[in-house]
Amino acid sequence: MRQLMTKWRPYLTVFRLRALQETQYRAAALGGLVTQVFFGLVYIFLYTALYAGSDPQALRDTITYVWIQQMFFRMMFSNDGELTNLIMSGGVAYMLVRPIDQHRFWVCREVGGRLVGAGMRMLPMLLVQLLLPVELRISLPDSPVALLQFVLSVGLGVLCLCELTSIIDAINMKTLDRRGISAILNLTMLTFSGNVIPLTLFPDGLQTLVRYQPFAQALDASIRMYQHAAALPEWALNVGVQIAWILILRAIGRAMWARQLNNMIVQGG
Amino acid sequence: MRYMFHSFRMLMKSAMQYRSSLLMQVIAQVVLTGGELLAVTVLLSRFHVVGHWQAMEIMFFFGVMQSSFALTELFGRGVAAFQGFVGRGEFDSLLLRPRPLLLQVVCSQLDPRRVGSCAVGVAAIVIAASRLEIAWTVGKVLLLAEVVLCSMLLTLGLFMIEATMCFFSVKSIEMVNVLTYGGRSTCQYPVDIFPKPLELLFTYLAPFALCMHWPVAWVLGQPMTALSPGWYFVTPLAGLVFFLLMTRVWYWGVRRYRSTGT
Repeated sequence: MRQLMTKWRPYLTVFRLRALQETQYRAAALGGLVTQVFFGLVYIFLYTALYAGSDPQALRDTITYVWIQQMFFRMMFSNDGELTNLIMSGGVAYMLVRPIDQHRFWVCREVGGRLVGAGMRMLPMLLVQLLLPVELRISLPDSPVALLQFVLSVGLGVLCLCELTSIIDAINMKTLDRRGISAILNLTMLTFSGNVIPLTLFPDGLQTLVRYQPFAQALDASIRMYQHAAALPEWALNVGVQIAWILILRAIGRAMWARQLNNMIVQGG
Repeated sequence: MRYMFHSFRMLMKSAMQYRSSLLMQVIAQVVLTGGELLAVTVLLSRFHVVGHWQAMEIMFFFGVMQSSFALTELFGRGVAAFQGFVGRGEFDSLLLRPRPLLLQVVCSQLDPRRVGSCAVGVAAIVIAASRLEIAWTVGKVLLLAEVVLCSMLLTLGLFMIEATMCFFSVKSIEMVNVLTYGGRSTCQYPVDIFPKPLELLFTYLAPFALCMHWPVAWVLGQPMTALSPGWYFVTPLAGLVFFLLMTRVWYWGVRRYRSTGT
């Protein structure tokens, strides 16, 4: 146990530091809050017009879906340019001499920032819900069990996103340009994670494909649990898929990091 | 005008120096706008109609919005990224030069990767127009050109609000993104599908409806108002008026500018 604690200490520390740092960005959180509420409302008005009273239950579900996506928007992206900065400035040399697992260190850093960042936006947005007319509000979870499943699944979702980001980081290490391939990956993520439109609205024939692809593991899987508490076998399948993707992405990310770090060229001094 | 063409040519040349990087960025923009197009397509394939609008009519609106917004970002980069000027203290050097201030800001930067978004927008217009039976006349084509031009001015005006804010707070002011990017996301659909307050906001305050939706709806043969056709050539000028108004506001901000120093 003691050994385990010692082994994990640097990672827990960076997690905590990044989380603390994130709490300092209150103005950014407020700006994000306004933007996300506005976009949430526009999407909701749009879906209200689209459903035109034809299927009230489906509309309610879609509204809930939109709000959860907006609340956890901060989870989607890294706002941390530190790694590229380190490489460009040569500071990466110091990073490399530390006796730690670099990949795990950065993933923990990302997880810390995103969990706290998302929390800081989510709580006020929950309060905003109280100010809205009932027909625009988020619905309650299906049941307490559904809420529990949701929370657990969001945790896995953050991990999944951070592993994805570590792959993008590895690409950045090579190209040193965040606007090329990595931007494309980020944007694909936005569409196929269900942020632009709910994945539940994709054509019915494609649903199986849509819900088990990696980007759906971020939030889509969690939202589906929030709305329908799954029975044990179904729940095990959904969580299993999440964990499977985390492991796959992690293996890819680690391989890419190992390769990039071995070939790292230290710039400047 | 000559100054503008010269600057843009030079900026284009400098962008072309990094051809493969530029190409990647253009592709990224195609993916971004393509993603939105995909989203609209998915929605339309499920719902077929929005209010009284047919799928292809919505596609047409989407195309007009995306292409005019992308063109604004392409040429108006200097205004959209104005925060950088103030933050780096570079604005001071512009103040010293004997050329119109706003012209210098506009001419200082170009954002060639937006060509990608614009291409997707134009593609959406072409697809929609080929499926719809529009009785094209010279007047309608001219009107469409006017719509795009005036919408660009309107969008530029919105970016200028952000630029004016920079004089008062140097830190990023994400909230104003609601006006620009929020305006784009909202007004890629005709405003009359939204509830009254939102419709009024985007008709009279940030007049996307006057600039774009009213005339385009007439071109599509589905007028949104009872105005006689001649009026549709007049309403887009609201974009020009908005732009001129925001120019005054911006110059008012310039007078209150204090350098961040270097």
